[in-house]
Amino acid sequence: MRHKAICQLLFIALALPITFLAIRADAKSQVTPRATPQLSPMDKEAVKRFEGRVKDYVKLRNGVKAKLPKLSKDATPQQIESYRENLEAAVRNTRTGAKRSDIFNHEGSDYIRRTLKVNFTGKDRVELRNIVFEGETATVKVRVNYPYPDQAELLEMPPTVLLNLPQLPPEVKYRFVGRNLLLVDSETNLILDYMTNALP
Amino acid sequence: MEHEAKGASYIMKRFIFSAVIVAGLFLSSSLSPSAYSQKTSNGNGNGAKAARAHSAVKLTLPLKKDSVKFAVMGDTGTGSSKQKEVADKMVQYYAAFPYEFVLMLGDNMYGGESAKDFETKFSEPYKQLLNKQVKFYAALGNHDQNLQKNYVNFNMNGKEYYRIKEGNVAFYALNSNYMDKKQIQWLESELAKDTSEWKVAFMHHPPYSSGGKHGSDDQLREVIEPIFVKHGVNVVLTGHDHFYERIKPQKGIYYFVSGAAGKLRSGDIKDGSPLTAKGYDRDLSFMLIEVDGKQMHFQAISRTGETIDSGVIVHQRAKP
Repeated sequence: MRHKAICQLLFIALALPITFLAIRADAKSQVTPRATPQLSPMDKEAVKRFEGRVKDYVKLRNGVKAKLPKLSKDATPQQIESYRENLEAAVRNTRTGAKRSDIFNHEGSDYIRRTLKVNFTGKDRVELRNIVFEGETATVKVRVNYPYPDQAELLEMPPTVLLNLPQLPPEVKYRFVGRNLLLVDSETNLILDYMTNALP
Repeated sequence: MEHEAKGASYIMKRFIFSAVIVAGLFLSSSLSPSAYSQKTSNGNGNGAKAARAHSAVKLTLPLKKDSVKFAVMGDTGTGSSKQKEVADKMVQYYAAFPYEFVLMLGDNMYGGESAKDFETKFSEPYKQLLNKQVKFYAALGNHDQNLQKNYVNFNMNGKEYYRIKEGNVAFYALNSNYMDKKQIQWLESELAKDTSEWKVAFMHHPPYSSGGKHGSDDQLREVIEPIFVKHGVNVVLTGHDHFYERIKPQKGIYYFVSGAAGKLRSGDIKDGSPLTAKGYDRDLSFMLIEVDGKQMHFQAISRTGETIDSGVIVHQRAKP
């Protein structure tokens, strides 16, 4: 009887800390999936219009690109450099006068801000915030129609966030710089537009 | 809060679940040698030349005829003398272990990508391997521009993510820096129809890592791990953290961090990390891998030529 009681006590003494550690480890390793905010008819319209403006940009840049020498899939570094410079210059010239909010605009920004807020708020999102705020992007001057400096890091777009934002065509990508959300050209890294205070 | 509201039966279930996990972790770390054994091998020489070279380096790989032989390097593109030293060591090992290709795990070029940078950070350090017709297959990292996908020597065929097949192994190069819906759908559909014996994914960011600076990329893992598990990916090779780490198998998948072929973050592996099967953060490193039937042999080597880890992974679905 006494032996049984000691065994039970020993079991509890061992099991409790192990369970505590296991629950902690388990909780740390799980990231709670976040849903996008419910899309109201107004949101749907705003997203549609945002996507339309992105498509307009893609049409314009692809039109410009078609007039330039094509870049081979087996290009030399010199060909890559020259292609990039030419495409960047041509697109910049075509978009002279482009300014902030031309693509994001007010309604589109509002929906994206709400989506980001849902995805970046909460204790389990500390790591996500760290990814963005600890990036080596302090030297990036965020200016529309100027290139993202190629010496600066291109921060990973957290997939869980990316999946909740309006989808972009391959020619355009989202990027974070501090609390700003940028739209950049995939090939030239030209900054097409940006939202200030996109992150909560 | 939510857990408390569910009451005692929930806590009991949680207790049992956690106890099973703890027991599983204990067993996997202590009873796994049948599936994952440390091994050194004398190899079956592949000719006199290789045998001579073999004696100059310490090879633990079996060097079998018709096996798939490759090297792995991550976070290379600094253009530094240390990167060159690792490259030279890779050349030395090539003489003993003539690998056909090299997987690049991203951050192929730090701080600028002019034509000159391609030279100083890639084609010069690896000139000897390029001259020997060794192919390089690159994945993109957070310091890489997109147009690297068009660079002839990175063999990306103009794509940010792609699949190649070598022998019985399918390799998936992923762009972990921008894992969007399109890429995920592509990966799912490619893996679903892939009948290759081995499926290896390589990308920059590590779903599992004990790095103090970066560590496990939970967001990436949340999205990509279920796909790997569902479609039987065997091994995942990653970089980003500047050290070597072999992770204890996670949900049946073997993960490696090999992000120190050009940059080192000395002492960055967290002490006592439950993820680490083997870690090395004292010097730069690269890996050599040989897939022979149902076995994948690996050897991790430091800049100075020290073997820092070696072993063999038995295919997860191989009969005992």
